[in-house]
Amino acid sequence: MGFFQFTEEQEMLRKAVREFVEAEIAPHAAEWDEKHYCPVELFPKMGEMGITGIFVPEEYGGAGLGHVERAICLEEISRYSAGLGIALMTHHLGIAPILYFGTDEQKQKYLPDLAAGKKICGLSVTEPGGGSDFMGLKATGEFKDGQWVINGRKCFITNASVADVDIWAVVTGQDEKGRALMTVFIIDKDTPGHAPGREENKIGLNGSSTGDVICNDVVLGEEAVLGEVNKGAKIALSAIQEIGRAGMAAISVGILRGCLEEGVKFSNERILYGKPLNRLQAIQFIIAENRVAYEAAKLLTYHAASLKDAGKPCANEFSMAKLFATEAAIEAAKKTIDLMGGYGCINEYPVGRFLRDAIATIPAGGTSHIQKIIIAGNAIRGN
Amino acid sequence: MTTNGAGGIWVVAEQVAGRINSVSYELLNKAQQLKNQLQKPEPVVAVILGKGAEGLEQLSNYGAEEIITVFAEELEIYQNDLYVAVLQALIEEKKPSIVLIGATAIGQDLAPMLGARLKTGVAAHCVDVRINENNQMVAVVPAFGGKVLGDILCPNTSPQMATLKPGVLGKPVPLEKPAAVVTAFDPSAVLQEDQGRIKALEIVREEQTGVPLEEAEVIVAGGWGIGSRENWDLVEELARLLGGAVGCTRPVVDEQWVQSEQQMIGTSGKSVRPKVYLAFGISGATHHLCGMKDSGLVISVNKDATAPIFEASDVRIVGDARTILTALIKRIKG
Amino acid sequence: MSLNITVCIKPVPDPDYYDKITIDPVKKTITRAGIPTIINPVDKNAVEAALQVKEKLGGKVVVITMAPPNAEENLRELLAMGADEAVLLTDRAFAGADTLATSYALAAGLKKSGPFDLVFTGTESADGATSQVPAQLAEWLDIPHLWNVQEFEVEDHTLKAKMSMENGYINYLVQMPALLAVKRSINKPRYTTVMGVMKAKKKPLTVLTAADLDVEPERLGLQGSPTKAGDIFTPSLARKGQQLTGETEEIVEQLIQVLRGAGLNLESLNVNEAGRE
Repeated sequence: MGFFQFTEEQEMLRKAVREFVEAEIAPHAAEWDEKHYCPVELFPKMGEMGITGIFVPEEYGGAGLGHVERAICLEEISRYSAGLGIALMTHHLGIAPILYFGTDEQKQKYLPDLAAGKKICGLSVTEPGGGSDFMGLKATGEFKDGQWVINGRKCFITNASVADVDIWAVVTGQDEKGRALMTVFIIDKDTPGHAPGREENKIGLNGSSTGDVICNDVVLGEEAVLGEVNKGAKIALSAIQEIGRAGMAAISVGILRGCLEEGVKFSNERILYGKPLNRLQAIQFIIAENRVAYEAAKLLTYHAASLKDAGKPCANEFSMAKLFATEAAIEAAKKTIDLMGGYGCINEYPVGRFLRDAIATIPAGGTSHIQKIIIAGNAIRGN
Repeated sequence: MTTNGAGGIWVVAEQVAGRINSVSYELLNKAQQLKNQLQKPEPVVAVILGKGAEGLEQLSNYGAEEIITVFAEELEIYQNDLYVAVLQALIEEKKPSIVLIGATAIGQDLAPMLGARLKTGVAAHCVDVRINENNQMVAVVPAFGGKVLGDILCPNTSPQMATLKPGVLGKPVPLEKPAAVVTAFDPSAVLQEDQGRIKALEIVREEQTGVPLEEAEVIVAGGWGIGSRENWDLVEELARLLGGAVGCTRPVVDEQWVQSEQQMIGTSGKSVRPKVYLAFGISGATHHLCGMKDSGLVISVNKDATAPIFEASDVRIVGDARTILTALIKRIKG
Repeated sequence: MSLNITVCIKPVPDPDYYDKITIDPVKKTITRAGIPTIINPVDKNAVEAALQVKEKLGGKVVVITMAPPNAEENLRELLAMGADEAVLLTDRAFAGADTLATSYALAAGLKKSGPFDLVFTGTESADGATSQVPAQLAEWLDIPHLWNVQEFEVEDHTLKAKMSMENGYINYLVQMPALLAVKRSINKPRYTTVMGVMKAKKKPLTVLTAADLDVEPERLGLQGSPTKAGDIFTPSLARKGQQLTGETEEIVEQLIQVLRGAGLNLESLNVNEAGRE
């Protein structure tokens, strides 16, 4: 296998996305954070850019590209707003199950509007009882008189109050050993009984909305079933492994670049004892560490994404990328705050927000501990 | 008197709606200086095209020894093909050695077109011109937003042409010279050859509000650091309180905090020289500094202590533009 | 109506870095190492203007530049933005050209690259900022032009256009083919989309050298330039300044003294403003 390298088109795409981000996102990121506002109005603009439907095939109105390109978009956006980054990443997280497991009718019905950013997607799996133990889900789907009736409460759901299309995983039966069987449904936001619940006040990633989503006797037709009945675990799991963790890794790569660039900028401009701060070796060490952390996280993330695009197994690689990048982002943000001294603690500078955002990336897609269990399990099995 | 064979330093005087643009007087002052630097002095000539113009004697006051008027109905509103055809005919007949044109919107269009017709060089929007030891005109031209100045010569073709930015030469002064000889040039032969590819329909003058930047003794200028359209009102209010004009940088125009890009100061905007220049939230990009560097007292407020504007300032305040503006307005109002 | 539209563009050092430009004191050359090359900002407005005409009336948009070989990258960006074809004129023979020689080569390139009904340029480049190429290009092409255009409409091979000037504007009718040099405020250039990037690689980009053009060699480059460059230098703008420090009120108090010292009569202004004469 060759070393990962960006193509000329991918470099151009990065530049185009960066121009968009610098004009439309960078100037507002701090305000979104402060006001806990998810800028839904940017979704149609990201749609025109091709970002919201980046890996959706052209026949469904997408850009027809892959997961490396998706990671580029998420990195560029999260360089300035990891909050919007996770809102977009979750939109993709909801799109992927429809794209990879949906019927042609479901794809025709949902993908064009989602790819265009006219509608926002969400994925509701986690429940108050836990996230990573999703075989222990409590939400249920019952088949009665030719219709499905969904009940349950999901929590810590990104895009909870802004999603137009909500992908739900519920328990619909048991196997012969008594283990839960899961089915995935596509629910339109206006379906009676379906509603967002309480909104969480998060430590970071505040350019996104997070909260509960509730289904109270939501009645759905059979056409709402995504994939096969009782075979939804695979759908939810693959979305979380290969879209969710991939997205969180790319978001953290963006935060890492933010730390690196803000640290360099500050140390070039700040004069101490008549010299720029960057002349101090202690400062240079931080810059070097941030640079290496960014590079390493980037290589892990894009390498895993290129495996996904090549159709090769990539879940373990995304786990490693997610573990490394998210933890490295926290470290880098903390060190950059140290580098900036008092200024690092002032909210006029973005690094404090980077630290809060980086910490908030940890639980999304499974905490670092979960990733370690996965990675160790694979290693022990010889993968 | 005719300048035939005698060379001549020509100034193409600009009129809009019959009123002569003051850059013409700045150029005539400069033409008189060039005349004195030439090994053999040549006459200073003002050429003016239009339907007519008020106050021709002003051209004489500021340095014209001869005035060539080209007045015709068709020339009332600037139309580049007609103006260039007339000037080309005049220059080819009378062979001036130097032609100076104001770098106004009209001048910046007219000069290069004329240069292309005459296959001669034009130094663009110069900040100064002089004559060197070889009796050639040296034009000082800014590049890279004014960060670099370069000398431009036109040694092998004639005439030597330059456009000069309004305001960079300083306020023109009247000279005690005898009244100029006025010669009328009949453009009808040239105008008959017009192919009619362009037709000027109308000229619309926009009302100027407030004190014009070029004439203001106090300028309150703001940049990106002002932060928002709402905060911009503070800049306007301070300017009103101080009886000054409002200036701005490129980002302010792009953000549309000001109504007109005529308020932009810099290499691609106005060159100003007020007695007092107050810069709020302006970082001091080279192209802005070049437009205000000749100001008297420069006071700047910026929260970034390393902002380049401070290097070019007499009084520096490291602080938030909005905070200082608010406090200063409150203090002045008492 | 289907129009052939050509846009002339120029790659320039990024204007955000102009304070980093220095002069080598010995060689007397401009040092611009590490400064990225971008598309001259207002040239994107020219491309936007062209794309809007094409979208309204149909036709084809060709972008052309005279630049070093690496300008291919800048042209690709404009193909990604929506232009249909790109032409790069590149040859050592073009080097050292002033505006007259540049516009001569561009005119030859334009004629070579096909028929044109409309030519767009920006008003000026950020680096040299002479603003002379548009008018001179139109002269070499023997077509009418307008500079500093802030609005235009195409009506059946005639343009209605507004030339902006100090405190006003002039309206013109111009017969096509014609050249318009547009200003920044005429439009807001669109973003390059992901789909645009993917289409760009399939669009034609032609590289032409002096040998491909119908030109007189003595009109090209340094040789064809009537203006010659002399000495270059960086003006010093430094002032010996004082810094005002303290709490906001203390700073303002000092500032008031500075303004009074400069001859401003703040009291009378104050009275007038409050209308308490």
